[in-house]
Amino acid sequence: MDSEITLWVDGRRETLSVDTRTTLLDALRERLGVTSPKKGCDHGQCGACTVLLDGRRATSCLTFAVANDESEVVTAEGLAEGDEPHPVQRALLENDGFQCGYCTPGQVCSAVGMLDEVKSGWPSYVTEDLDESVELDEDEIRERMSGNLCRCGAYANIVTAIREAAE
Amino acid sequence: MTGATRATSPGPERIEGHAKVTGTARYAFEHPVADPLYLHPLRATIARGRVTSVDTTAAERVDGVRLVLTHHNAEALVPIGDPELAVLQSDEIAFRGQLIGAVVAETQESAAHAADLVEIRYERMAHDSDFRDDADIVYTPDADASPMLSPDLEEGDVDAALADAAFTVDATYTTPTEHHNPLEPHAVIAAWDDDGLTLHDSNQGSHLVRDLIAPLFGVDKERVSVISPHVGGAFGSKGMPHGHVALTALAARHTAGRPVKYALSRTQMFELVGYRPPTRQRVRLGADREGRLVATEHDSLEQTSRFKQYAEQSASASREMYTSPNRRVTNRLAALDVPAPTWMRAPGEAGGMYALESAMDELAVSAGIDPVELRLRNEPEVAPVSGLPFSSRNLPACLREGAERFGWHERDPRPGVRREGDWLVGTGVAASSFPSLFFPGSLATIRHESGGKYRVEIGAVDIGTGSRTALTQLAAEALEVPVEAVELWLGSTEQPHASLAGGSAGTASWGSTVVEAVRAFRTEHGHDPVSGAETTAGAGKNPDAGEYAMHSYGAQFAEVRVNADTGEVRVPRMLGVFAAGRIVNPRTARSQFLGGMTMGISMALHEHSVVDERFGHVVNHDLAGYHIAGNADVGSVEVDWIDEHDPHVNPVGVKGIGEIGIVGTAAAIGNAAHHATGVRVRDLPLTPEKFLR
Amino acid sequence: MDFLRPAGWSEALEAKANHPDATPIAGGTDVMVELNFDHRRPETLLDLTRIEQLREWSRTERNGVPTVRIGAAVPYARLIEELGTTLPGLAMAARTVGSPQIRNRGTLGGNLASASPAGDGHPPLLASNAEIELESVRGSRTLPLADFFTGVKRTDMAPDELIAAVHVPEGTGPQQFSKIGTRNAMVIAVCTFAVALHPRRRGVGTGLGSAAPTPRSATEAEEFLAGALAEDGQWDDPRPLPASVTERFGELVARAAAPIDDVRGTAGYRTHALHVLARRTLSWAWDEYRSGTELSGRQRCA
Repeated sequence: MDSEITLWVDGRRETLSVDTRTTLLDALRERLGVTSPKKGCDHGQCGACTVLLDGRRATSCLTFAVANDESEVVTAEGLAEGDEPHPVQRALLENDGFQCGYCTPGQVCSAVGMLDEVKSGWPSYVTEDLDESVELDEDEIRERMSGNLCRCGAYANIVTAIREAAE
Repeated sequence: MTGATRATSPGPERIEGHAKVTGTARYAFEHPVADPLYLHPLRATIARGRVTSVDTTAAERVDGVRLVLTHHNAEALVPIGDPELAVLQSDEIAFRGQLIGAVVAETQESAAHAADLVEIRYERMAHDSDFRDDADIVYTPDADASPMLSPDLEEGDVDAALADAAFTVDATYTTPTEHHNPLEPHAVIAAWDDDGLTLHDSNQGSHLVRDLIAPLFGVDKERVSVISPHVGGAFGSKGMPHGHVALTALAARHTAGRPVKYALSRTQMFELVGYRPPTRQRVRLGADREGRLVATEHDSLEQTSRFKQYAEQSASASREMYTSPNRRVTNRLAALDVPAPTWMRAPGEAGGMYALESAMDELAVSAGIDPVELRLRNEPEVAPVSGLPFSSRNLPACLREGAERFGWHERDPRPGVRREGDWLVGTGVAASSFPSLFFPGSLATIRHESGGKYRVEIGAVDIGTGSRTALTQLAAEALEVPVEAVELWLGSTEQPHASLAGGSAGTASWGSTVVEAVRAFRTEHGHDPVSGAETTAGAGKNPDAGEYAMHSYGAQFAEVRVNADTGEVRVPRMLGVFAAGRIVNPRTARSQFLGGMTMGISMALHEHSVVDERFGHVVNHDLAGYHIAGNADVGSVEVDWIDEHDPHVNPVGVKGIGEIGIVGTAAAIGNAAHHATGVRVRDLPLTPEKFLR
Repeated sequence: MDFLRPAGWSEALEAKANHPDATPIAGGTDVMVELNFDHRRPETLLDLTRIEQLREWSRTERNGVPTVRIGAAVPYARLIEELGTTLPGLAMAARTVGSPQIRNRGTLGGNLASASPAGDGHPPLLASNAEIELESVRGSRTLPLADFFTGVKRTDMAPDELIAAVHVPEGTGPQQFSKIGTRNAMVIAVCTFAVALHPRRRGVGTGLGSAAPTPRSATEAEEFLAGALAEDGQWDDPRPLPASVTERFGELVARAAAPIDDVRGTAGYRTHALHVLARRTLSWAWDEYRSGTELSGRQRCA
């Protein structure tokens, strides 16, 4: 069964007809050719498919495309302004916060979403004082970025990069 | 030759970095192809037996289904000696999860749905997937049959030496099945046309894929193109093409030129693309009063599959590590009805050095000698087995530099005496070693475009190691031009033949090739070449090969905290100091070491594929069940290296750096956990309950 | 596969009545895993994401007790952000659910419907004596959470019912939650434990996760501790708890467990760890009670 939906992807309006069984991730990758979000596990367990969905980071493999009619999707590709990378991307380049690059677009979207969550004062599991604004130290970054696995093992560099980008 | 180590220049950023941080770098499944079809596999649900009937009626009725492929309608492949590639050639089932067919449809959803409707009946036979030391299943691999295998080593009289030794260790260590789990699942797009077969494939060497797939289908190599510009991690699992490549290419024979796409699911990766086999290793060490080894014995038993042999050779890690007048090293295999294991980052060394370096720590404790000092006292003058001189061996420098930086000298050797709140704290050390390999046969083309710009082509691959960047640097250096003047092309069979990315030999093999090709270019075209001047050449034989023992070395230090009440284990700090020849790009090289150490932390604490012997499959077959280290599991990881000039190892003076980082990490962590708690856990991974025994 | 997208609650109840086999889906973080794993192929999905009232929470009173009514589709991130001090135990547990991405989408109602013994939200709800509100076209009913779970991933829901909301009495004393996993974050619990002190009614609440076929309370431990506190006059004049009391509490919590061996841990380890978690969380909660910080919502890292 197909349904017609509209998605806003990296600022572009896309109207498409999708099988109700199609995930948002597959709609982006296989139907729209937007391959910046990656499929690593299809179970929300690796974070490679993370996009900003209506402004919040979400794993796009765990939601059906049809449930996201009129939603706004921002990918790592959309975070860069052409040749000019987003500050998080710039910091990852400088700190070599990736190797194979497959988890990277998800790390980027997750980091951007995370910095926004911190700005909004959301506490994490390791936040000690719930009344104060969050101090984004290394433990906070590690905890808050734990939804994005990196098998190349670039975590230490990812943490440094995000610290720099947050400053 | 040794000393202060921090690199002055960080090295260029990754050339493809912008494409990777924006996600615009194209991986195998992402290549735009016209009018693709999607493949969903059919897989055996029994561990041994044969398929007796297949009913595809319901599946074929599903909207959008174009093909249901089984051994009944698959074409015959040419036997090339790799049982993994001989898919759908018979009704036999050798392991649970084996590929036994495929549905090809217009969408992934239809293919998956239809695959569910195929009815398969089996004749079930008794299977055995219980890894154990049992004469029924254990055998000695034939070392004469493969240069990759080392025969048993017997020198002197180990038993007599142990009987006379002042200090002895006799311990058995086990390591579990581990899965590579690169973040990019194995994927391929296959299309046949009049010119032959095109594969967009995720692999560690496009030429190797071509060299195997072309004869499998009985076509000339020139008629197979393999294109792999970006590969999302591999760690050995993409070294050899697995059955899915053959299956997809087989299916594409039936689609009238339409490309067929197949990406493995994460769960399928636990059965179809190899794994590090479990091992059971007994190590016996004997030392004199000063801690000098008088006997070293290392016997390893490892799992292999009945249908395709793979030999991990973990005990061989002990062959050339330390001086010992009496030694015995053996490797045995236990053959089971399981998927075929394969190389996984530092195959043999990762598990073997875990056992040896844990045993060395046990020896240090029983002899009352500092573990750094114990290793220094057993440093060999020449390679113990071959008697060859080392091309360079700076393990002592790594140990000393690391000890200094880690603050090792303030360490109280007593185990189980440091407590901070609920946490017991300890530190540990282990040595790392990995052979410096060189794969012959690669070629590079150097072409002067115009205006001082050069195009360099080599059919190598960048699986995340940074080879694209390092080779560009080496080419620029040899050409004596800025890095920006070199455009390097790799990642496909369109470029000249190159060896696979494996054995940490990429930069050594391809870098030497590029440098030698530049020399040949200069000889042929001089320093002021015309536009279009071009030379293709490779690296000759290294005259020092066989004259020197060549290895990289490292020393790993870990701080570990174990919760006194719950046994939870944390690794807040690690330091690795390595000696690995010339470091071409400090920025990306550091990431290689860091990545290896991080995977080592993961190996130490988390990784364990749990096999249910009743069914012969891995039960925790996803990333929620099979844990790899996440960001919060990795604390401070420092990496550094000794400046090392090695004139013998190869023309560029580089040793491997991709694998040594995982060697020794788990031992350092286990040793630190013992120092923290006084509990010696000899079975990986170091899960909480093992500390509460 | 049919995909029903009701715009309102009554429409959703109608749809569920007409398609009792339909699988409800909100955040998708549980259901989609099953679907993508090929474990389940439902004919019909009932998408609840458009139903505004399921995404709201409000303060009410039930039987004279100030209570928070949480719509079934409120995501964990909002529990963390908005209810951290009102329902501190639940918010603490919410901060350990899945990954941050999962917490942005995953909902309490979805977690309850899955009824996994490892669901992180369940123990603090049990410790707070939460109730669950189920509704169908036949009407609405509310039952204690303890009666809702009937087996491993089984609940008391009728095929035509949907979860409307969860009613959680507001905390009146310290609440704590602790989790053991084999990884630091993004981990399915080896075991979890929640404790809540209820000074106004002089009661104690507990909840155990990954410890039995269903999430459950350690009733004996609750009664023992409440009794011991009352007997010693500790509610009015809190002093350090005798080691014998925390020890006994831990023993009784461990005794309430009926764990299994699985890939995450052995039954023996789980029983031991619950003993530790019970003592640990009780001592944290008691410290808070003694210092008068009744509702800090402060997570204590082990």
